[in-house]
Amino acid sequence: MEHLGLSLALFGAALAAALAGIGSAIGIGVAGGAAAGVMTEDPNKFGSCLILQALPGTQGIYGLLIAFFVLNKLGLLGGAGAVALTWNQGLQILASCLPIAVVGWYSAIWQGKTSAASIQMISKKPEAMGKAIILPAMVETYAVLALLTSILMLMGVQVG
Amino acid sequence: MSYVYTVARLRGMENHILDTAFFSRLMDSAGIDDAVKALGETSYSQWISGANSNFDKAIDSEILATCTELESFVPDKGLLDIFRLPYDFHNVKVLLKGLFKVRGGESEGRRYDLLSKLGTIDVDELTNAIETEEYGFLPYGLTDLIPQCWQLWDASKNAQAVELLIDHQMFRAMLNVAEGLNMSDVVHWVKCKIDAENLRSAVRLARIKYDPAKALPFFHDGGTIRADDMAKLLAEPQETWGRILSYTDIGAVLGALGEQNDMKAALSDVSKALDDYLLKVLESAKYSMDAPANVLLYLLTKEAEARNMRVALVCVAGGLDREFGRRLLSNGR
Repeated sequence: MEHLGLSLALFGAALAAALAGIGSAIGIGVAGGAAAGVMTEDPNKFGSCLILQALPGTQGIYGLLIAFFVLNKLGLLGGAGAVALTWNQGLQILASCLPIAVVGWYSAIWQGKTSAASIQMISKKPEAMGKAIILPAMVETYAVLALLTSILMLMGVQVG
Repeated sequence: MSYVYTVARLRGMENHILDTAFFSRLMDSAGIDDAVKALGETSYSQWISGANSNFDKAIDSEILATCTELESFVPDKGLLDIFRLPYDFHNVKVLLKGLFKVRGGESEGRRYDLLSKLGTIDVDELTNAIETEEYGFLPYGLTDLIPQCWQLWDASKNAQAVELLIDHQMFRAMLNVAEGLNMSDVVHWVKCKIDAENLRSAVRLARIKYDPAKALPFFHDGGTIRADDMAKLLAEPQETWGRILSYTDIGAVLGALGEQNDMKAALSDVSKALDDYLLKVLESAKYSMDAPANVLLYLLTKEAEARNMRVALVCVAGGLDREFGRRLLSNGR
């Protein structure tokens, strides 16, 4: 039981990086499928398609950021050794990781779908690129809010 | 099966579909040479070498090339089969009618020139199967249908009855393929197609004042409106059909024609309205990034383009009234 707190905290960091990363991979895959379809007909749209395809990738980065934040808080970065955690503190860190883990996972998939739709839009109306970026960026808002929530919660957890 | 790639590629291909404004301009060409020049920058140019080209064959080649391209990336071949299957049944009709004539003693009965390559069954294989009476490998229920056609012909010598038998099976086969795909919007479209065909038949029969009591065999089962309800329309004045069918989507098509006092206009106007209606049925797929129905919508739009091409070229080559030609243009894109 003495390492339960640390285990729970690490589990939270793993969830944040893994779920948000899986969501991003799926989202980029969906958008990539659409980009490939459009570029088969018009390879000149590579630049526009790439920007839209990359948008769902941010959730994976947010998840990684929270994972780093947790590892840093636990003292696992820099070789100073892990701090001692009670199971209660570990659970608090795990809970702090959940917003970005769950919202990142889900929002990346939906952002990928919106990006795919936007890619199809620029295939017919290349002049609407600005609007095409805004639509998937709206989904991003909620991933950013989740990231912010996770950061604020982590900052509130007292360890050591 | 994901259709994201497929639909995105179709969106790119849609940019090359010729719109009605292009056909309207094409019809203003001074002669067929000018029209062929105007087609120079379209995908049709690869099939049309000059004013003496066979335009029908060129248009069929373009559709066939589209089907072949789609086959390479559409996950469900059934979607293409639904579009191509009527051409198989058309070929069966042509071949059987030819054989009926040959058996009747006409040496020039066969009309291979009327066969279409757009069907799913290779024309030579189909011809061989029907002429050698080896139907075992034929799909869509043709194995049983063709012997039935022969029986009916032997008993009645009625080519129209045989044609109706083939059409009934064609719509059954379309519905079977659609249901096998498990795509509700595609099944709905096939049902609407059956309604549209029934309505077309009703308009034709009304024009020749056909006896409503004997009309039921002309209507196909499987649509959203029952065949006997369609047959009952014939007993009513044509102007009231829109109101009678107002509970259906297709009723609105008739309603619109009725409002224009155009109910008694040429059958081509009704046909055009029904073709446009069938495109509209699938229109909601336009707003989806991965709806499989987009494949069917693209093919129908391409078919409408081909129809417009025929109308425009016939108008220009035959020196027909351009305004009448413009009225016949479908709103494909």
